[in-house]
Amino acid sequence: MAVPVSQAWTVATYVLKQKLKGRKRYPLVLMLEPLFRCNLACAGCGKIQYPAHILKSELTPEECFKAVEECGTPMVSIPGGEPLLHPQMPEIVAGLVARKKYVYMCTNALLLKEKLHLFKPSKYLSFSVHVDGEKEHHDFSVCREGGHDIAMEGIRAAVAAGFRVTTNTTLFDGADPNSVRRHFDQLMAAGVESMMVSPGYTYDKAPDQNHFLGKAKSRRLFRAILSNRKKSWEFNTHPLFAEFLMGKQNFECTPWGMPTFSIFGWQKPCYLLQDGYADSFQELMETTNWENYGAKSGNPQCANCMVHSGHEASAVDYNFGSLKGFIETAKRYMFPSTYPDAEAEKLLNEWKPAHAMPLVQIQGANGTTNDQLQPVSGD
Amino acid sequence: MATEQQEHLKIEQLRVHSADELETIAGREKENLEGWIPTLATDAEIREALEKAFDYRGDVTITRKDGSKVEGYLFDRRSGATLADSFVRIIPVADKTKVNVVYADIAAIAFTGRDTAAGKTFEAWVKKYWEKKAAGEKNIQIEPEKLD
Ligand code: SF4
Repeated sequence: MAVPVSQAWTVATYVLKQKLKGRKRYPLVLMLEPLFRCNLACAGCGKIQYPAHILKSELTPEECFKAVEECGTPMVSIPGGEPLLHPQMPEIVAGLVARKKYVYMCTNALLLKEKLHLFKPSKYLSFSVHVDGEKEHHDFSVCREGGHDIAMEGIRAAVAAGFRVTTNTTLFDGADPNSVRRHFDQLMAAGVESMMVSPGYTYDKAPDQNHFLGKAKSRRLFRAILSNRKKSWEFNTHPLFAEFLMGKQNFECTPWGMPTFSIFGWQKPCYLLQDGYADSFQELMETTNWENYGAKSGNPQCANCMVHSGHEASAVDYNFGSLKGFIETAKRYMFPSTYPDAEAEKLLNEWKPAHAMPLVQIQGANGTTNDQLQPVSGD
Repeated sequence: MATEQQEHLKIEQLRVHSADELETIAGREKENLEGWIPTLATDAEIREALEKAFDYRGDVTITRKDGSKVEGYLFDRRSGATLADSFVRIIPVADKTKVNVVYADIAAIAFTGRDTAAGKTFEAWVKKYWEKKAAGEKNIQIEPEKLD
């Protein structure tokens, strides 16, 4: 089981309650962004591009707790920025744990080892460490040599101290499925509870605008990665969302499934798109024109999106929305498949890496064109 | 939300292909807006300039018709039926409050702050990486900018 039974039970009863109340739109995970500043400056990430006075601002613990209560989800994810740079992060996490919220604190883990003593292990707290692949891939993606080693050290220290540790890997064009599979082996060997993997989004603030995976390529990549999977791999994504990535399911976006709250307020409509802000969760739900988002809407910004923040909640909703969905999901949990697939095996064997080791093999100094420089991943 | 002009590469690509079949999707075209002072002669120009200001990742300075100024990060805009019903929301440089400015009260807007998104491409990073490598540097990285 990729998550503790108590967590699965809490989420299931929460969703059933929403269904019984007849709520058509309900949130599942709050994405709480208490600050935007970061101790990395990844070339693939546009999240930290704000003026200094914005990067210096942060939510107070009280503002965080108010948002969590307004929204009411059983799970709270804390992305950023780098949450460990927030001086009151231990207080924020402790307050959420006291409220019995399942917290996923997303971190690049550069500070994890040194700040670990400020947190207490709990079934409600998981460090979700962003590791974008094997050493060279991760270091390239975060634009920092040695970043991977520090993150892995942080993971091992947190596991040794008794914390729940999960990981998050985002893939962009140029990702090598064989390398990603080796990366999964390394993470499981380091003792992580479970892993998440997701395609990057064509984020219009990302400094690199040339390497976004299209849907066709995403599906092929995820089919190669997630088919014929090892029994030792544990994922903390909904099994039907993983099938969606592999091209075996089709889900429309549920942009309200993972609402985002930051110093600007409640972000319309989702974690990725910024189309304005609401001052309360209720205002967000009532004033957002939800029909303008998702692939079906024709909005070009949503056309390519397959990310978990928009589509995993759809898988969960399908799971609880009909007997068919419930039975399908129950089967996936009771008899987990390794997704045997000879075609995917062939894909893997024939996959030509765009670059085996990006940092050492990029020949920028002696004439390689920019077109050949393909980042493997990013935020 | 980017304007149609900023999104045009993606829009062009989607006009000819279905997103489901695309191998690689186009990004967006970036405009160099730093230092821009748009003319605000018509309602359409005002709306377009404020849409771009909303998308801009630096501070802007708004001069109201009464002569007062507000400089800060424009994080939201609410577009109503008329300019009197529409307003932008700003976090001023020197204070954490959120200030609303009605479109109809705006005399001028200038993109005065540095565009924090400019010049930070993978290509720029790779170039710098190789320069540093050639100079024998170890533990090469992009450092986040100092905030003080
Ligand atoms: S498809 Fe959904 S999650 Fe993706 S960008 Fe659009 S609204 Fe956001």
